[in-house]
Amino acid sequence: MDCRTAHARIDEKADGLLPRDAEAELSGHLSGCPACAAEDAAVSATGPLLRALAGIRATEKAPALDAMWTRVRAGIEEGRESERRTSWIARWAWVPAAVALAVLAILFYPTGTDRSPFHPSTFDVAVEDIESEAATVALVDKGEDLPRVIWIIENGKT
Amino acid sequence: MARRKPKGRPGAPGLTFLLLLLLAAVPSEAANTVSVDVGAVYASNEGTSMDSALGTIRGKLQSMFNYTSYRMLDRKRRTLTVGEAGEFELPGRRTMRATPLSVEGNKVRLSIQISEGPKNLLTTTLGLSRGGMVLVGGPSHQAGVLILIISAE
Repeated sequence: MDCRTAHARIDEKADGLLPRDAEAELSGHLSGCPACAAEDAAVSATGPLLRALAGIRATEKAPALDAMWTRVRAGIEEGRESERRTSWIARWAWVPAAVALAVLAILFYPTGTDRSPFHPSTFDVAVEDIESEAATVALVDKGEDLPRVIWIIENGKT
Repeated sequence: MARRKPKGRPGAPGLTFLLLLLLAAVPSEAANTVSVDVGAVYASNEGTSMDSALGTIRGKLQSMFNYTSYRMLDRKRRTLTVGEAGEFELPGRRTMRATPLSVEGNKVRLSIQISEGPKNLLTTTLGLSRGGMVLVGGPSHQAGVLILIISAE
């Protein structure tokens, strides 16, 4: 194994990617090459140092991270509460609208006038009594298929 | 992402209750009320027009009277409770007063009074089925006569 290959294998070993048989081959080279052995020692020491540094930085930043997470959680809760409030209003808002519509329909239902054509279902009418102070009245009955007619004759004119 | 389960509408039972309340109230009120419909038709021999608003009654009018023209001048409807008098203004400064006297099932007793100023032209009591109709005619109007189509629902 030459030194260039050994350097590549040292990096792979540090990353934990080097197969076991290649690691044995690399060890053989390192035992006979002080330069590569020094490189291996330096690279191998870098990983724990980085992990220790990351741990220190995390400890330093922990209070700030905690505060930030608390703010995020509060923001999420506030959003949920706002959504709950809005959906409650949206869910019930139609009730007064429906009641108002019903009241308007009852109040303004057009009972005073009717323009639909006449379609009587029966001409069965009993005239119990009939009288006039100012005219002569006649009751005309032309059969069940025709309406009964009360005819008012004013001043002898028909 | 979990899909939200659709929520029921909690206001729906409230509206249903309100509608049921209204529906329960309407029949008891309707049983005691009569809708009186009065159409004032001007019948004459001026022209040969026939108002389409007269509906199926057109043929009846033509077979019963000798006028060539029938035109509806006015039509009004009043919903009256038993004992309540309803005033109907008629053409020619005439008025008609209708009062439901009683309602028994499908039968309605109706008191009708037609006046022209202080003159009482007609006082009658009718027994009609709901949907029934009677004609009152004769009062002169312009070059013809008025025929009133009175029906009760």
